[in-house]
Amino acid sequence: MKISEADVEYVAKLANLEVADDEKKELAGQLSRIVEYVEQLNKLDVSSVEPTTQILEDVKHAIRDDRVVLRTGSSEAGKTVKHFKVPKVITER
Amino acid sequence: MNLKNMTADRLVGLYRNHDLSVTEVIRSVFDEIERNDKNIHAFLTLCKDRALEDARRIDGRIASGEQLEPLAGVPVAIKDNMALRDVPTTCGSKILDGYIPPYTATAVERLRGAGAIIVGKTNLDEFAMGSSTENSGFFVTRNPHNLDYVPGGSSGGSAAAVAGGMAVIALGSDTGGSIRTPASFCGVVGVKPTYGRVSRYGLVAYASSLDQIGPFANSVRDCAQVLSIICGFDPYDSTSADVPVEPFPRDIDQPLKDVRIGIPKEYFVPGLDPEVKQRFQESISLFEKLGCRIDEISLPHTEHAIATYYLIATAEASSNLARYDGVRYGIREGGESGLAEMYRKTRMKGFGKEVKRRILLGTYALSAGYYDAYYLKAQKVRTLILQDFQRAFEQVDLILTPTSPTVAFRIGEKTSDPLAMYLSDIFTITCNLAGLPGISIPAGKNTRSLPIGIQLLGNHFQEALMLQAAYNFEKAFLVQ
Repeated sequence: MKISEADVEYVAKLANLEVADDEKKELAGQLSRIVEYVEQLNKLDVSSVEPTTQILEDVKHAIRDDRVVLRTGSSEAGKTVKHFKVPKVITER
Repeated sequence: MNLKNMTADRLVGLYRNHDLSVTEVIRSVFDEIERNDKNIHAFLTLCKDRALEDARRIDGRIASGEQLEPLAGVPVAIKDNMALRDVPTTCGSKILDGYIPPYTATAVERLRGAGAIIVGKTNLDEFAMGSSTENSGFFVTRNPHNLDYVPGGSSGGSAAAVAGGMAVIALGSDTGGSIRTPASFCGVVGVKPTYGRVSRYGLVAYASSLDQIGPFANSVRDCAQVLSIICGFDPYDSTSADVPVEPFPRDIDQPLKDVRIGIPKEYFVPGLDPEVKQRFQESISLFEKLGCRIDEISLPHTEHAIATYYLIATAEASSNLARYDGVRYGIREGGESGLAEMYRKTRMKGFGKEVKRRILLGTYALSAGYYDAYYLKAQKVRTLILQDFQRAFEQVDLILTPTSPTVAFRIGEKTSDPLAMYLSDIFTITCNLAGLPGISIPAGKNTRSLPIGIQLLGNHFQEALMLQAAYNFEKAFLVQ
């Protein structure tokens, strides 16, 4: 599938990225070549194959009680950073 | 004093016999960095004062006859995508400029606990996305064997630091070959452990289901020693595996009688450099001489590994990198027209080209209407690749391949064609998709004096056998 400059613009918006006008054409070309390459997977019939999201699913993964634990350094984080300031979230219509 | 080819094993012995002091070694490391790193550019940040202070402390303990930890006084470099408290972590990205983590990554903490002295943080492709360390947001790292060539990537700074005698051990991370490729290009040993072996706590995430921390060193034994220190369960990483860790150096010199080694026929690709191929075939013969049984095996889905990887890794990256928005870390841009505009302006200014390209590709693969066709399909092909290996390991104990189809390439040679760069990962990438352990070992040089590496892959959690085979090869290779 060919990726157009409009596609680049749309996906950039989804990803909270701004792409300069002169970059759009180059990116559309590069992404088209990459997408055409990955479309080789369409040659495979995977209709009866289960997807793999994590390797080693039979290993017992780390789960602990949900309580606050202070690790080395974490209290310092609290000391230096009380809050994060952000610009206006609600803007006028 | 020159630390090129120095091993931690030997260095610790020299300290113990009072042949060298830790302080003079650490001083000579920084002298070497001052002399040579202006050409190689391996380091982003140095920790000189702290390292010299650590050295004096250990010298004092040696003088008073105290029992020392296994890596006491060994100079170590850390890839700059791992947190070290109170020292900047940039990930090779402008977007993290000014970020100083208030904590230390588990793997780094464990190395420090074993007495290692951290000399600095090393350069990498931005957010570990690349195969050459040319994508760093700060500067390009060069190969110590020839400054016109890349060191490989993305852990190029760590590999170059060890190869250049500016550290004896280094930590890197490997998502699709980022430890093994630079190890191969720089002529050092590099290990990517089984997924879940080493805690990822404090490692900045690129592709969470593939990322794994591992060591670089001048010997297999040193890598084994580091692994026995950094591997093991960590409650701070929810994917950390609770599997016992053997003392890896213990049985490393056991002979290789009757070990079965598989050679995947699909790895003889058209792009395989003739000199690399020749060294690889010589390596096969050497393993045969060591008593191994060599069998041809088939990994039929190898040709689809790169496509699978670049869909899964970029999808995970697009999600992981959403957190860099100017609110909590690093730089902030814009904001006059509200929050959303600040996110976009910050990310546009902070991210480099390759990172933006991968975020866009990953976002595309996950977007409505394309999820099934790209991301879900890639996850299914990942299952097929994993099954290839499961079948192979019913037949053999280890798999032997070249680490990379070529030696190091020239700086700038592949930067204009992202796809060509991606294709250079063909031999390393399957290991991450299947979560297997892999090691790259030096196997000589080509006619232009550039190093060639071979790779051994083991079954899940079979690092001990993999290291034993690598050690035997290394020893036999040196005497032949």
